[in-house]
Amino acid sequence: MSTILYFPGMGGNAGVSPALAQLDGFDVVIPAVPGFAGEAGFTAPTDYLGWLVATWDAVDATGALADGPVHVVGASVGGMLAAELAAMRPEIVASLVLLAPFGINDADNPGFDYFSLRGPERPPHLFAKGVPEAFATRFDARGAEEAPVAQYIADIATGALTWPIGDRGTAKRLHRIRCPKLVLWGGQDELLSPGLAERWGGGTVVDGAGHLLEWDCPDEVAAHLRAFLAG
Amino acid sequence: MKMMWFHLMPYPALPDDFQQKHRSVWVDIDPALFDRDIMAETYETYIDQLVYAEECGFDAICVNEHHNNGYGLMPSPNIIASILASRTSRAAITIMGNSVALYHPPVRVAEEMAMIDLISKGRVIAGFPVGTAMDTAYSYGMNPSELRPRYYEGVDLIRKAWASTEAFAYNGEFNKYRYVNPIPRPYQQPSPPIWIPGGGSVETWDYCAENDFVYGALTYYGHKAVKSTVDNFWNRVEAHGKDYNPNRLAVTQFIGVADTDAEAHRLYKEPAEYFFNRSFFVYPGFSDPPGYVTEASVRAKYRSQVRDAVKQKIAKGELKWEEMVENGYVVVGSPDTVREQLEAAAKDLNLGNLAALLQFGNMNDELVRYNTNMFAEKVAPQLKTMFAEWEHPYWPSGATPAPSAAA
Repeated sequence: MSTILYFPGMGGNAGVSPALAQLDGFDVVIPAVPGFAGEAGFTAPTDYLGWLVATWDAVDATGALADGPVHVVGASVGGMLAAELAAMRPEIVASLVLLAPFGINDADNPGFDYFSLRGPERPPHLFAKGVPEAFATRFDARGAEEAPVAQYIADIATGALTWPIGDRGTAKRLHRIRCPKLVLWGGQDELLSPGLAERWGGGTVVDGAGHLLEWDCPDEVAAHLRAFLAG
Repeated sequence: MKMMWFHLMPYPALPDDFQQKHRSVWVDIDPALFDRDIMAETYETYIDQLVYAEECGFDAICVNEHHNNGYGLMPSPNIIASILASRTSRAAITIMGNSVALYHPPVRVAEEMAMIDLISKGRVIAGFPVGTAMDTAYSYGMNPSELRPRYYEGVDLIRKAWASTEAFAYNGEFNKYRYVNPIPRPYQQPSPPIWIPGGGSVETWDYCAENDFVYGALTYYGHKAVKSTVDNFWNRVEAHGKDYNPNRLAVTQFIGVADTDAEAHRLYKEPAEYFFNRSFFVYPGFSDPPGYVTEASVRAKYRSQVRDAVKQKIAKGELKWEEMVENGYVVVGSPDTVREQLEAAAKDLNLGNLAALLQFGNMNDELVRYNTNMFAEKVAPQLKTMFAEWEHPYWPSGATPAPSAAA
């Protein structure tokens, strides 16, 4: 069974997305990037290198690299971390899938200012088809008082990585990505324009999907993933 | 008690339908609203008002820092403070900015405040706010997760820079310098008194108590609403084993004085409504960038929604004059009425430094001067005698009291 390292995006770690859950023959592992699970006591790294090191440490801690290179899927802000992993540690990445990744931005079309909404008002802007139940309740197991705190902490993590505009100069490192790469984008993405796919070397637009396209259109995204990973 | 005259410097000509046609007075406010000629005249008027406050006998004049803002036209308080340093000769100059994390290198702040302290011959109070979310995260793009660590390190660097007697190296997390050696050093050595304007975080209270900084509770909601915040501050002071000196605390308060209660209500209703329902019309989403407040404060926030309820009323333009008065946002009335309320508030809060907001909203110059003079002559003299038994080690050494018995 092959391993997929999956980096979730805005909203934090809501578990394996419905698209990835459809993939047979793959073991989907989510590295514990700090803050994404809304864990209490989280303190954000104070610079980008700190974030990358924390990401690499989280990857190493999965133990998934023991059998060689792995497939990497990154969504949204997780896509930025996935791309950086492929650029800076190319020897461990067999293939790379980016789902509407942050990391490159266009100042003429910066996208919807997601964090200029209060916390509970944010998630609907991640989806074109409404907030999925499994996503909306992702932190409910923490209890009524801690669930909103966990959501806030997850927003701290994703906000810290993308503030004020989600561009950390990733474009300057794209030439270092040498594995096969697939870029998918939701056609109704409010946060990042599908036109940005060109800046990543081209991509495929999934009509009817918002920013978190693997939740909005799991069947279509899974079909693209299957074809790509089979190739 | 010290009498301080605090100017927010609001733009006085926002349109009547501002709430209906604009979403926020802050961050993304339409720049077309600001008329060049009104702006130029406003600066001149407001600076003159601050100078007038010294003439009336106030112990201090105060400026602050806001960005992209329609009720605070001082993105650089240092510019106004430097003018005041030259045009005044006695009052303390309280600079309720600079938001240290926004400036790189922070040594620039040390240099400018030192210059103003020298020009004023030791009259500067150095205020170091973390800065609001609107000013820092949105207007200046500061990553909210980095804001506080940058702030604490910046203040540390500035204090070392002011106190050092030689060039030194600094190897911080954000600031790395081979040679820190600001010329000039401040007039007051090792440092002008440091005040921390802030909201209500445990970290800020501890920071003030540990370092003997004055805590400035800069509220627009008055002495009643700030009570619980101030109580928590004093609890932390006690926890750190420090004395109960009321001069450790400053609080802002909107005040309107006239010959009679009825006259005061007639005079100050409109400018107060202008401030709360127009100048302070802030898009709520700008107040909550993730990482701006600590995890502990987030937990507390989910338990207390009182301030949110007031802001929702402001957002709808529904905050009424009667509520402003009843809740203490504005202390208004005859000299006796105002004095009685402020005396009670000062005792209740253990307040040694009253930052009086005697100009607010679209109040015209004539009324500002009337209010200032009425307060100085008929309210301040009695208030000034409060807490006279306490030393004030947090006051600038170059500032001197008014020669007369006025404020």
